[in-house]
Amino acid sequence: MNTARTLRERSEAEASRLPPLLARAEHLAGTVLLGDHGRRRSGLGDDFWQYRPAQIGDSRRMIDHRRSARGDQQYVREREWQIAQSIMLWVDQGASMRFASDKMLPTKADRARLLGLATAILLVRGGERVGLTGTTLPPRRGNAQIIRLAQAFSEDAEADYSPPEHRAMTPHSRAVFISDFLGPLDEVELALTKAADRGVRGVLLQVLDPDEENFPYRGRTVFESVGGSVRHETLKAGDLRVRYLDRLARRKDDLTHLCRATGWQLGLHHTGDSAQAALLWLYRALDGGAR
Amino acid sequence: MTVLAGIGFTAPWMLLGLLTLPILWLILRAVPPAPIRRLFPAVTLLLGLKDDESVSDRTPWWLLLLRMLAAAAIIIGLAGPVLNPSRDESGSGPLLLVLDASWAGATRWSATLDQIDAQLTEAGRAGRPVSILRLTEPEPPVFQAAEAWRNRLPGLVPQPWQPDEAQIEQALAELSTLEGDFDSHWFSDKLDYPGHGALLSELQTRGEVTVYQSPTPVVAVLPATYQDGLIRLTAMRATPGPADRMTVNAQGRDPAGVMRLLQSAELAFESGALIAQTNLSLPSELRARITRFELQGQRSAGAVTLTDDSLRRREVALIAGTVNREGLELLSPLHYLTQVLIPTADFVDGGLSEVLPANPDVIVLADVAKLSLTEEAGLIEWVEQGGLLLRFAGPHMAASDLGRDDEDTLLPVRLRSGGRSVGGAMSWGEAKGLAPFQEGSPFYGLQIPGDVTVTTQVMAQPDPNLADRVIASLSDGTPLVTRKPLGLGQVVLFHVTADAEWSTLPLSGLFVEMLDRLAVASAAKSRQVEQLQGTTWEPIQVMDGFGSLSDAGNLAGVDGPALVSGTLGPDLRPGLYESGKQKLALNVLSGESTLRPITWPSDVPIKGQEISSETPIGGILLSLALILLAVDVVASLALSGRLGMARAAAVALGAVLIAPQAHAQTQEETEFALQATQELVLAHVMTGNAQVDDIAYAGLQGLSQTLYFRTSVEPSEPIGVDLERDELAFFPLLYWPITPEQTQPSAEAYAKLNAYLRSGGMILFDTRDANIAGFGASSPNGRKLQQLAAPLNVPALEPVPRDHVLTRAFYLLQDFPGRFAGTEVWVEAAPLDAEQIEGMPFRNLNDNVTPVVIGGNDWAGAWAIDRNGQALLPVGRGYAGERQRELANRFGVNLIMHVLTGNYKSDQVHVPALLDRLGQ
Repeated sequence: MNTARTLRERSEAEASRLPPLLARAEHLAGTVLLGDHGRRRSGLGDDFWQYRPAQIGDSRRMIDHRRSARGDQQYVREREWQIAQSIMLWVDQGASMRFASDKMLPTKADRARLLGLATAILLVRGGERVGLTGTTLPPRRGNAQIIRLAQAFSEDAEADYSPPEHRAMTPHSRAVFISDFLGPLDEVELALTKAADRGVRGVLLQVLDPDEENFPYRGRTVFESVGGSVRHETLKAGDLRVRYLDRLARRKDDLTHLCRATGWQLGLHHTGDSAQAALLWLYRALDGGAR
Repeated sequence: MTVLAGIGFTAPWMLLGLLTLPILWLILRAVPPAPIRRLFPAVTLLLGLKDDESVSDRTPWWLLLLRMLAAAAIIIGLAGPVLNPSRDESGSGPLLLVLDASWAGATRWSATLDQIDAQLTEAGRAGRPVSILRLTEPEPPVFQAAEAWRNRLPGLVPQPWQPDEAQIEQALAELSTLEGDFDSHWFSDKLDYPGHGALLSELQTRGEVTVYQSPTPVVAVLPATYQDGLIRLTAMRATPGPADRMTVNAQGRDPAGVMRLLQSAELAFESGALIAQTNLSLPSELRARITRFELQGQRSAGAVTLTDDSLRRREVALIAGTVNREGLELLSPLHYLTQVLIPTADFVDGGLSEVLPANPDVIVLADVAKLSLTEEAGLIEWVEQGGLLLRFAGPHMAASDLGRDDEDTLLPVRLRSGGRSVGGAMSWGEAKGLAPFQEGSPFYGLQIPGDVTVTTQVMAQPDPNLADRVIASLSDGTPLVTRKPLGLGQVVLFHVTADAEWSTLPLSGLFVEMLDRLAVASAAKSRQVEQLQGTTWEPIQVMDGFGSLSDAGNLAGVDGPALVSGTLGPDLRPGLYESGKQKLALNVLSGESTLRPITWPSDVPIKGQEISSETPIGGILLSLALILLAVDVVASLALSGRLGMARAAAVALGAVLIAPQAHAQTQEETEFALQATQELVLAHVMTGNAQVDDIAYAGLQGLSQTLYFRTSVEPSEPIGVDLERDELAFFPLLYWPITPEQTQPSAEAYAKLNAYLRSGGMILFDTRDANIAGFGASSPNGRKLQQLAAPLNVPALEPVPRDHVLTRAFYLLQDFPGRFAGTEVWVEAAPLDAEQIEGMPFRNLNDNVTPVVIGGNDWAGAWAIDRNGQALLPVGRGYAGERQRELANRFGVNLIMHVLTGNYKSDQVHVPALLDRLGQ
């Protein structure tokens, strides 16, 4: 009885988490659509290709009357057949993402999921196929895919730092990796080189908390990762600040170099900043890559 | 108790704990603050980073000092430090506290309690058992721990009497039951009472006696007396002293029934005098209201004297049936009554019809048989509301048919015809004497002099209720005085005359006493034992030792004589007593009382009541330690970074930011007011429809431009007004376009609008539908307008008459087009009496500005301009349309002029110029 009840409670909590994330992501995506990016909406196969005479089997609806009125023959307007791009998302579900230094701030995971889902919505509206890296959710189109994505994003991973999923990447597709990239760097390196080998290009978006950027701590402190797997004790936290910031800068440098080598783009987003700016950047980065 | 440097310590050994402080210093210094556990995902970047020094931050010296101070404060505080330790070594063994606990000490009672408390504390510290004996209420003394007594201290209250012999005897008896010796502390109230010497010697045989008494003198006030129209107030002090002034306050109920200070008087004790007197002259109405006098600044039963009926002079109307025979005053039926009542009553003169409205307490009808119907009705009403009607029989009454067959309402009994005479020259028998008064009669207890005889009387019919109504009868059993209640009042009939013709009763002292008992005369003189014989008085309110009255509850009644002669005690408490309609105040002091100061033998040590209070400061030190520890908590948190400076700054910043936010609202309002008042501003009502609002705004902007160019009115940018939120008083004109979908303003908004209209504002309603609808409820806008305007105080309306001032306020206009032309414009109707004078083109119309102008011509649409000054909306076609726009602008100018200048152009002074321009 107890388990049944807790299961129901948990499932309801889970279910309730989905629509708000979806709604917020839709909302966020909507703000971008209001700008000058609307052409993606009509995107697929909307461009004019040629007129051809109507044949038997063409429905009357397909007849282009403007062209046909010029002569006696009836024409059908043919459109360019376009193949949609596949875009693979990877959003870090690791425990390290579930951190917010302030109650007013969203957790990194929250922001990362929001950005990932909003990007997905934009891309789906643009007619692209969106999916997750790995085998769980291959790229598909349509609004149902958004719901599946939202569902996939609402699952937390146990591990502290989860490595980027690089399996089953479709060749020559595009990818978006959103994480704090604080885990082992060689995993990221492995994923990116593998992607580059397959001709996959994409975007890394590093999501950091303001406190991770500033390190405002002092005094005797035991630092623990969110999952509790890693800990570090210091007697004077204030003295570590400069060295920590150095290391952080080096980490960013490494990522930049990695991206440059593999042709990816690197973005940095702080949870204290507006999500819209990050989404715009993401969209631009993907867009720019498409041309 | 050990005393160190002026501070006593109850547990001095605790101070050794101070020696541990240096050790504590060393320990605290060595232990670093505990680490904080923080979640930090970027810990991977920290791994491998080494601290510069191997030692952590040491606890800073000031934090250590803080902790040391806290520890020292705890140690010293626990050692029980006492400031001002009392050094006088009191004895050992049981201690008896003897309290007079009489009214004389009530004023200083709280000081006495403090001193007793101090003594109990001291006794408790010395471990002496204590007992308390109150002489005004002796109880068997029980020796108990001092703490037990301290809890009972609030229950010790002074009594409003002095210890009397019986109580002293009882106290002596109680003391004799105690075994062993004990010391006594006697808290004296400085007044002598019988038996205190005996008690003192008894106490002295048992141990040391110390007397505590305060140097402040005992003051009391004697009952107020009334003489020759003045209230005489006497204050008394026990011991002669220097000249002193006191204030005595007269308190009573005001007409609303609230106790208040009615009058106060100064009492001056001359140097060395024991008595101070003053006279108070008050109107009788005010005098009757006084319920108590009290000495200001005193809080004892002795400083309070209650008043009863004695200050009250009853108002009596005497009415005789026969016309006064001039020069025969002694034969006047009222002569004796007048003599009886003069000292104690005020007379109301006049006939019955004049007297009744004055509402006297008593009306005496001496041998009045016939009353007019109105007089009788008035009299019955007066009696039923509590009046006392006192009737005397006489020849007229005996001869009349009054109360013959039926009982007259204003007679207690039915009367037999004619009356009877006994003991006269022509009659049988002897003159009759009075029978002793029955119990239950108001006269019960009065002594009957032997020389009172009755020769003639009117006789009562033997009715079933006669026996109840007889309150005095003759020796043969025939009624002499009968009485019956009537409503709230009563009717009393003396079956004899009020003069000495039928009886000798009016000549006797008994007559006076009888009238007194009937509350006809009130007792101005102090009452005598004889007067009160046989009466029982019921206490209504009793006084406590502090002089405040409380409800008597179910205290037993008191015999009349005891009230005068008895001594106060638990059975006879001072207060207000009542018997029948009479009230009597029993005060602590009677007129003859004196205050005798107590004298103590020279071998008894007498101490004042000053106490040098011991102040334990352990609590203060311990709270200091707590405060220091709290500071230490904050400081430690701050040091270890748990209480980040950023957070503190955020809190401070928040405090700074929150405060202005509270004022943001008023700030906004102020800005709005400034914006609206620095220049003349036209305003329109925000309808919620963005398009309509924009047009209204643009229209007012256009009108403002027009005004600016053509007139001396120079408005600034128009304002859209939210009726719910914004103040309206700043705007001369509100343009209110009607849209069918706009929301009805709230009741508050309507109140604002009505106030706006009352104070001279104008609303221009525009239904904007003159192109499709006439004026009225035919269009949705018209219907909405009716809904919107229904709660407004809109006066009667009429279409603008041709001589309305709107037609000539600036331009001469005949009609008032906007974007549409055609429908009529409605304004406040002219008064009905406005008539055109021969030869004048205009009527002399109403003075004020019309509060509303209602139309549907969409003026704002015609006025509206864009940023470049170009007209926003088309009006009509071609030149005719521009002409219409020009007329619309002129209407706007006229409207604003009308609002701003009122009926200025209505003045007949302008008539010649206007006539000239009109070409007439």
